[in-house]
Amino acid sequence: MKLGIGARITALFGLGALVLSILMGGLSYFTTRHFLLAGRETAAQHQAFANAVLVRSELQGGNTHYVSLLASIDAGTDAHSVLYHQSKSYVSSLSVNASSIPRKLRKVVLGGNAATQTYRTAQGVAEIAVGVPVPSVHAAYFEVFDLSDLDHTLRVLGLTLFGAGAVTTLLGISLGRFASARSLRPLADVSRAAGAIAGGELDTRLDPDAADPDLEGLTISFNAMVDQLQERIEREARFNSDVSHELRSPLTTLAASLEVLERDREDLPPRSQRALQLLSDDLRRFQRMVADLLEMSRADAGSVDVFLEEVSVSELVQRSVVAGFGHMDGHGHGAPPEVRIDPVVQSWRVGVDKRRFERVMVNLMENAAHYGGGVTEIAVGPGEAEHVEVTVDDAGPGIDPQERAKVFERFYRGSASGRRGAGTGTGLGLALVAEHMHAMQGDVRVESSPGGGARFVLSLPVLSEDDDPEGAA
Amino acid sequence: MSGRILVVEDDERIRSSMRLALEGEGYEVRDAASGEEGLDLFAEAPTDVALIDLMLPGMDGFECCRALRRSSAVPIIIVTARADTHDVVAGLEAGADDYVTKPFVAKELAARIRALLRRARPAEEEPGALTFGDLQLLPEQGVLRHLNGEEVHCTRTEFRLLCELAASPNKVLSREQLLDRVWGYDYFGDGRLVDVHIRRLRTKVEADPAVPQHILTVRGMGYKLVP
Repeated sequence: MKLGIGARITALFGLGALVLSILMGGLSYFTTRHFLLAGRETAAQHQAFANAVLVRSELQGGNTHYVSLLASIDAGTDAHSVLYHQSKSYVSSLSVNASSIPRKLRKVVLGGNAATQTYRTAQGVAEIAVGVPVPSVHAAYFEVFDLSDLDHTLRVLGLTLFGAGAVTTLLGISLGRFASARSLRPLADVSRAAGAIAGGELDTRLDPDAADPDLEGLTISFNAMVDQLQERIEREARFNSDVSHELRSPLTTLAASLEVLERDREDLPPRSQRALQLLSDDLRRFQRMVADLLEMSRADAGSVDVFLEEVSVSELVQRSVVAGFGHMDGHGHGAPPEVRIDPVVQSWRVGVDKRRFERVMVNLMENAAHYGGGVTEIAVGPGEAEHVEVTVDDAGPGIDPQERAKVFERFYRGSASGRRGAGTGTGLGLALVAEHMHAMQGDVRVESSPGGGARFVLSLPVLSEDDDPEGAA
Repeated sequence: MSGRILVVEDDERIRSSMRLALEGEGYEVRDAASGEEGLDLFAEAPTDVALIDLMLPGMDGFECCRALRRSSAVPIIIVTARADTHDVVAGLEAGADDYVTKPFVAKELAARIRALLRRARPAEEEPGALTFGDLQLLPEQGVLRHLNGEEVHCTRTEFRLLCELAASPNKVLSREQLLDRVWGYDYFGDGRLVDVHIRRLRTKVEADPAVPQHILTVRGMGYKLVP
């Protein structure tokens, strides 16, 4: 698993605090221990030497009453003496015996050198033993000091330092968390801005005044990037719009002039009449294409103002099918398809741009005619969550599930559309259906019809149920 | 049917083809390449319908509409590049009666002109004189006046719209019905035509257009006139 930058900063701060507290804690512990121990050692040595001098003078004086001799030595409450004389050992208290003296120390001292050793007994008690040889009387004097109090002090100190270290580490972690949140906040701003831009709000910018001085560079370059992006998108949209726009003027001239010719059609020789027919058919197609392209570029430029009117959905669909059938491109033969209306939705009202909706129906009916063997049924019924659904079924081979999302892409031509006969569309028909539906807060999807063909489903939010359908009449 | 049409359009080819097509439909056409020239031509000779492109060099179409409206109630059709922008509403608010989008079909344009030239059609219930507020509507004479005799100037389309509403007072008329009766549009007519004309009418007949007392909006349904 990869750690996020926030977690890494937090971990780094925690680790830093841990290392620092170990270092500081260790240093103060061992320094204190060293000084305390050294002090005790020096004191012990002074006492042991002083007592050894006393023992020597007593032994030289011929006093061999060892027990009273040892008892007479003022060793303090937590010190005990051991005396070796003529290969025998004598102790000052029951709590020590000759084996209490570490062997190594004994060996060194009996060898004629004074020595000191700090150690821990088998019972876990810390002690310091000082040995002083007294060669003039062939004796060795040892004194053993109990270090329990020092040990206790050091243990308390250790625990305190450990606790302080733990607290410091925790503080480091929380500081790290705070610092990472703090330092990542500008990035969160950037991410939010980028999200808004991706969502189409091209005017979004980072506030250069609010930015951290260290991140000024990022803010400036981010804003510059968005400026450029916006300019490029707008330039492209403007170009598309300009092209379609410029095509419009000659189209207007062509259409008006052609109508003059059509008015005099009967006076033309048959060959010219056929040529005129071709001309006017393709001019109509051309007009549709330019209109579609323009519609698309407008949607891209986000410059579409949609005016929604509240209408009865059943009337809307019926009227759109009839009117749209008349506007279909070369396939509007026979009678327009029947519309089956679920009685439940009869009085439902929706907010639409009627002409856009008619365009949607024309495009779906044309699509069915071109690629789906014609419309088999158009139905209006209730959908999910306060929506009404309009379904358009065709008699074609249906659309593969993996192709379904793509059919609404621009210029997408499915596998079924290899043939390019007269009057096939611009490749924008279904993309515009989606565009129009979204502009009206609706949506479109494709499924399979019960008969195996494709079923296009338009859904629109229901505005209200008209209790009195005659009210408007 | 004949009529005298003034075409204001800066593109020479479109102008020529419109002239040909409209003359083919039996109209008498005069054309101008700019708003200023259009206003001059309008002042020179009587005109039945003015056709004004919104995108004109110099004085633009909106300005031209407003200038015409200041002196005349002549029906105006604006020619716009796009139907789905604020241009349409702005043009209507500048005084236009109707609009067509490029590229238009001359037959469609001729139909729009015919609808505007048509006399107020005899409604099923011919509206008699009607008084509402301190206003008196005399459909026969084509006059709307204050009770003190002062005439209220409104365009032909505004007057016809008022007559349709007055023909059935207190009854809601849908946008579709008004579009059909006043402009001759079918179901797919643009409801904004009705909305903007109602707004314009209110500035003339209501004491406070923001709080209308006579021409009321019935949400989702349409409009009604309350005497």
